[in-house]
Amino acid sequence: MSKVKLIWLSSISCNGNAHSFLNYPQLEEFLDNFEFVYHPIIESDYSLCDVVHQDLECDILLIEGAISPEFKKCDEPIINTINRYAHIAKKIVTVGTCATFGGMFKHSGYRYTTGLHFVEDKPSFLFKSLESKTVSISGCPIHPEVLVQTLYAIKDDLSLHLDKFLRPKEFFAYTVHNGCVRNEYFEYKVDNHNFGAKEGCMFYDHGCQAPYTTGSCNKILWNEVNSKTRNGEPCHGCMDASFPRFDFFTTKKNMGIPQHLPLGVGKRTYLTLAGVTKAFKIQRFEEDMFSYSLNK
Amino acid sequence: MIIILKNYIYKPICDKISSKPTKRNFVDKLDKKALRRESIIQTALQLFSNNGFHKTTIPDIANSLGMSVGNLYNYFKSKDVLAKEIIKYTSNILGEEIKAINLQNISTKEKIKAIVTIYFRMAKEKPEMIEYFLRVYLSHREVFKDGCEGMTCVSGFMTEIMILFDEGVQNKELRDQDFFSAFGLFMGYLGGMVFLNGEDILPKDLQEYIDDISNNIYKALSV
Amino acid sequence: MKKIEFIEKIEGEAKLHFSFQNNKIDFVQIEFFNTRNIENILKNKSPLDALVINPRVCGICNHAHLIATVKALEDTIDDIEISQKAKILREVTLNLEIIQNHFKWFYLTILPLMGLKQDVLKAMKPSQLVAKAIATLAGQYPHNSYAIVGGVVCDPTFIEIVKLRNYINDILKFFEQNMVQADAIEMLNCTNSQKLFAQNGDLPYILSKLVDSDMLTVGKSYDRFIVFGENSYFKRGKSIKTRVSKTIDEKFIREFETPNSLAKSVQYKDSYYEVGPLSRAMLNKTPLIKDMHRRYGDAMISRIVARVCEIPQLLNHTLYLVNHIDLTQPSYIKPCIDIQKHSGMGVGSVEAARGSLVHKVEISSGVIKDYHIITPTQWNLSNGSRDNLAIAQKAMVGLKDAKLAELVFKSFDVCSVCTTH
Repeated sequence: MSKVKLIWLSSISCNGNAHSFLNYPQLEEFLDNFEFVYHPIIESDYSLCDVVHQDLECDILLIEGAISPEFKKCDEPIINTINRYAHIAKKIVTVGTCATFGGMFKHSGYRYTTGLHFVEDKPSFLFKSLESKTVSISGCPIHPEVLVQTLYAIKDDLSLHLDKFLRPKEFFAYTVHNGCVRNEYFEYKVDNHNFGAKEGCMFYDHGCQAPYTTGSCNKILWNEVNSKTRNGEPCHGCMDASFPRFDFFTTKKNMGIPQHLPLGVGKRTYLTLAGVTKAFKIQRFEEDMFSYSLNK
Repeated sequence: MIIILKNYIYKPICDKISSKPTKRNFVDKLDKKALRRESIIQTALQLFSNNGFHKTTIPDIANSLGMSVGNLYNYFKSKDVLAKEIIKYTSNILGEEIKAINLQNISTKEKIKAIVTIYFRMAKEKPEMIEYFLRVYLSHREVFKDGCEGMTCVSGFMTEIMILFDEGVQNKELRDQDFFSAFGLFMGYLGGMVFLNGEDILPKDLQEYIDDISNNIYKALSV
Repeated sequence: MKKIEFIEKIEGEAKLHFSFQNNKIDFVQIEFFNTRNIENILKNKSPLDALVINPRVCGICNHAHLIATVKALEDTIDDIEISQKAKILREVTLNLEIIQNHFKWFYLTILPLMGLKQDVLKAMKPSQLVAKAIATLAGQYPHNSYAIVGGVVCDPTFIEIVKLRNYINDILKFFEQNMVQADAIEMLNCTNSQKLFAQNGDLPYILSKLVDSDMLTVGKSYDRFIVFGENSYFKRGKSIKTRVSKTIDEKFIREFETPNSLAKSVQYKDSYYEVGPLSRAMLNKTPLIKDMHRRYGDAMISRIVARVCEIPQLLNHTLYLVNHIDLTQPSYIKPCIDIQKHSGMGVGSVEAARGSLVHKVEISSGVIKDYHIITPTQWNLSNGSRDNLAIAQKAMVGLKDAKLAELVFKSFDVCSVCTTH
């Protein structure tokens, strides 16, 4: 059986997605089913300039990095190369927040820098005709399993439920908040988090964007072992259209009320619930986890 | 025996079918209960205002309404429970008024004035409500400490004040600061004025203070 | 005669503009052409934002940028207290990233240049273990910001220590079964580098190919080395041939633009210096590398051996660090000064996989006013003039073949995205 042919084009990028992808645990199995006609790290029969100057076979076009008409690869504007392969390929996958929404590198100084179909949460019309064949995988970087499993779904023609940004809801209907080990502190509005501690929720003071960022980081752990929030680092919203929001380690509040609330939760609902839970002091959540004793 | 059972089995179903309450009847029943509940609360508020919280008993309230004490206990298990339900009730009424103001498309400055206006109006037209808050809720913490911890029972009202402040900061009319600093200024000021009014110390009618007080509050909290 | 060679798969691309005279390269200009203006993105941002922005300079050495950033920011605060535990944890995760880089460079970059097929699975087996080990302490890899001003965010227990030990031992086992089939530590203490050539393994195989192709003297440069990122393993200083001098100061580093390339060149007190594993080994006087240098000088072969041999050195040392962390210390000590209201200047130097990485920051009233990132590839691949060649240029000049020059070029382990940031 012939392998699915992939071309991975890097636009304005740090290569983080290419390296994150390589962390896919069953890489050998993947390379038995997919073939890179071109990849920025994995060798193939073709050089980058071959890709740019010829029309090579391509089943799925993968695009990493933000896109600008001013940016060139092999002395050719990247948008031309994208356009050509987008018409050859059956499907396009934007790999990473930069390629999906513009991400960090929409600030890189090139004019009209965007993602393939979106710049932040607004549409970008340059490649509008390709929207029907695109699947977006956001993330800074992407989670390797999210990318690879989506590629398998495309290969096996499995149906994907895409959200308004063309991301598979199977991964992006969750919030990063789902599955965080600090959830109890969030539930009971215990807001005395200190860095370097297992305890505490970082939403109230330390800028954690997990309750309002979609992603599966706490469902499928990173590198199969951990996640930022479990480890004590606030989520920076890297999968979101708005990334980077900046002021990452601070929670923006207006007279003590968080500016950004959990996804889909209205302000009145949140404040009422917060008001109730804040009235109670639960001993177990106020103490160091290891100090708590049931028999006290 | 079997015949009786047969009757027993079938009759209730037939009865149910024929005398099944219509949707309208069911809703009416609920409405009646709610209305009754509300009238208990309002009567209690009046009595607490006239005679004081401790001197007013459940039998006093039941008598005033012409209902049996046992029936009143069906609605509120004890005087303490009634006390807590009253604070939630008054907080919700005030909260609904402030919510209506919050939803209007006017500036925060105008909203503050509108809130001061309804608060003072309520103090004039339904003094027993504001009085309850000042003279019962704030002064009898032991009654409220179990079941009304912190801001639980006044959340209807608190939420709306939070939203007022939050939107005020977002549209850059109000200065960002600790919530309670602003809240204390706002409610302490209004409560204080109502208290003075209740003691007959104010030379003018409470409504005549609306402009000055709204301005003072806005000036103190604005950017 | 002029020839332009387009180089790719160096975390981006570059062009080498060769000038041939009498069939030999007599000059080469290195051109990098894609920048993302990260130093500009940093301007006017909160200082803590640099901890999230800077890893995005590079997908393969993002962690080095994180640690350099946090050190530069902490340097703006006098008398800031960082616990020994936090310092060790940072060193552990940084060492792990260096190790992962070297594995990838050998199996993905070097093999194809020696006529062999790239071995993605061999590159990734140890690299995935490294990524897991880093994620155990830092949440995820790549792109985390677990080091913040004041320490680190994690709160490890014995669980993490046991896991790390196991990962490190697994990776060491991989090295011993594949790269050099011998006891790694014995090998490093060995003072006769020829013994290395006699072993079995992927590295000795490559070395034998170099011997067979008569490439032992290829790629010599100035024999001038510098290391800025001092830690519990690497020593800071410069070495001119084997003459070490410990006193160096970041204030004598000068970056300057050169025409035709978006990468800036770097000099220390007006001279070009090499950075990287060979430099570090020269400063540390690692016995095996000392012997390599005695025999081959700073030829490409010494660079290759130094880079590969850093793997067991760092694995061994990291294991030592992991076994000696005092978990009872705090991970994070809240600084007395709030950096989001602070003004000051700071420098953070670390050893990244490819060499010294220096970050310089100026903050003013809690906002970044200026930021400079000087990457190791900038040092090695500076663009000097014909009469004052920089390190890699000197190594390439005199060669007969552009392909061989590409091997010499890549033996410095080039990172294009870092260099232009």
